[in-house]
Amino acid sequence: MQELTTDHISQQFNNELEALRQHFLTMGGVVETQVQDAVQALLDSNGSLAEDVKEKDATVNQLDGIIDEECTRILAKRQPAASDLRMILSISKAVSELERMGDEAKKIANLTLSLIDEGESPRGYVEISRIGQMVSRMIHDSLDAYARLDIEAAIKVAKQDRKVDQEYNTALRSLVTYMMEDPRSISRVINVIWVLRSLERIGDHARHVCQHLIFMVKGVDVRHVAAHDIASEVEDK
Amino acid sequence: MSDVKTHSIDISAMQRSQQALRIEDEKVCLSVNDLHLFYGEKEALKGIDMIIPEKKVTAFIGPSGCGKSTLLRCFNRMNDLVDSCRITGEINLHSDNIYAKGTDVAELRRRVGMVFQKPNPFPKSIYENVAYGLRIQGINKKRVLDETVEWALRSAALWDEVKDRLHESALGMSGGQQQRLVIARTVAVKPEVLLLDEPASALDPISTLKIEELIHELKKDFTIAIVTHNMQQAARVSDYTAFMYIGDLVEFGDTNTLFTNPSKQQTEDYITGRYG
Repeated sequence: MQELTTDHISQQFNNELEALRQHFLTMGGVVETQVQDAVQALLDSNGSLAEDVKEKDATVNQLDGIIDEECTRILAKRQPAASDLRMILSISKAVSELERMGDEAKKIANLTLSLIDEGESPRGYVEISRIGQMVSRMIHDSLDAYARLDIEAAIKVAKQDRKVDQEYNTALRSLVTYMMEDPRSISRVINVIWVLRSLERIGDHARHVCQHLIFMVKGVDVRHVAAHDIASEVEDK
Repeated sequence: MSDVKTHSIDISAMQRSQQALRIEDEKVCLSVNDLHLFYGEKEALKGIDMIIPEKKVTAFIGPSGCGKSTLLRCFNRMNDLVDSCRITGEINLHSDNIYAKGTDVAELRRRVGMVFQKPNPFPKSIYENVAYGLRIQGINKKRVLDETVEWALRSAALWDEVKDRLHESALGMSGGQQQRLVIARTVAVKPEVLLLDEPASALDPISTLKIEELIHELKKDFTIAIVTHNMQQAARVSDYTAFMYIGDLVEFGDTNTLFTNPSKQQTEDYITGRYG
């Protein structure tokens, strides 16, 4: 894979693409921290950290706007083609995924504040800790793959999403069973279930980021391809 | 942790870099006040008011016959050569009204250089083409000529390609090289303004991109005004864009804004290919 943002005759175009890439990775870094902090705030019942996570959402939204604007300008002014065009489309879509991850992190922070108010849930923290670690890892790896245009790493992240889904379903079953045994805990356990749901969604978004990366590098659309088939789809091209 | 976290975040800097350029913030190089131009009875420019900002690239776009080339030619009085041409209003280069009586037109054209659509090198060597303007000024010292020729060819991103054949005929160069040679010849006399009239329309896509990249470099030292039929070229190279239509200046502003969200419907129709 050639370097995406160099080698154009127009140095200015190189600079614009590189700035776009850097801003995307910067935004990814912000979201990655935001998700980690959201999970940590919940596990530690740390209200002020949860507030921080909520505040960071404004930064993420601003970055979303800035990057969108950059994509618009490059499309309007440069009429990019081939890999350049795919890069713009891919980043434009992946940015939306990051923005939604940020929204989910904010939801987790809000649920954390409710849980602090209403008292801790009797169950579910072990699952949140485990799934939280898994999706943080996925975000990190998907951004790393983006930075290095590493398709194999992207495919690994996409596969990892299935494991998150399995963990999520297992956790859900055990929490439902618990609620049936102790109906008084339902409102608090439900908050925990929503947190798990948000984490599961974050995992989906990380998988989508990787799918957009595969489109950018290989030009194949793998959005509707099962994770275990992606490798062979990419091979064929 | 990954390298992605090491990027520092300066959102306000990112936002600043996206803000539209404001013509009010620019230094004025050329100012045009109520300029009317007639070819015989026909009014080709109908009262143009605008400024050309210093050390920026200003592009003129518009359909054929809209007056963009005519306006460009006004900036160094090339229209004087047309018999039936009559002009009212004024154009100031910094503080000098270039249409004032007693203006030295040859000196004006040194200060405001021009490059045309088709490369027009003289049938001389590469070196002599670039040195020509200097010799006319009476500069004959070899050391000065050598230095200036090298500087001009470097400015035109041509030096590395021709340094070993400076004394061969300029007519043996490719079209793209000839056009850059002409630009070198123009900058050799250190003008303040470069007028480019369709400088890349006779060139292949790669040579075109080279010229565009060159324009981007040249604006560090010169004020540039470019006429182009190629809207995308205007979008790529310019800081400010003026859209003209049958002798009127319809819209003039920051290129990014004009190409993403123009304020006039006519501009929108033209740049989206709904008019033509």
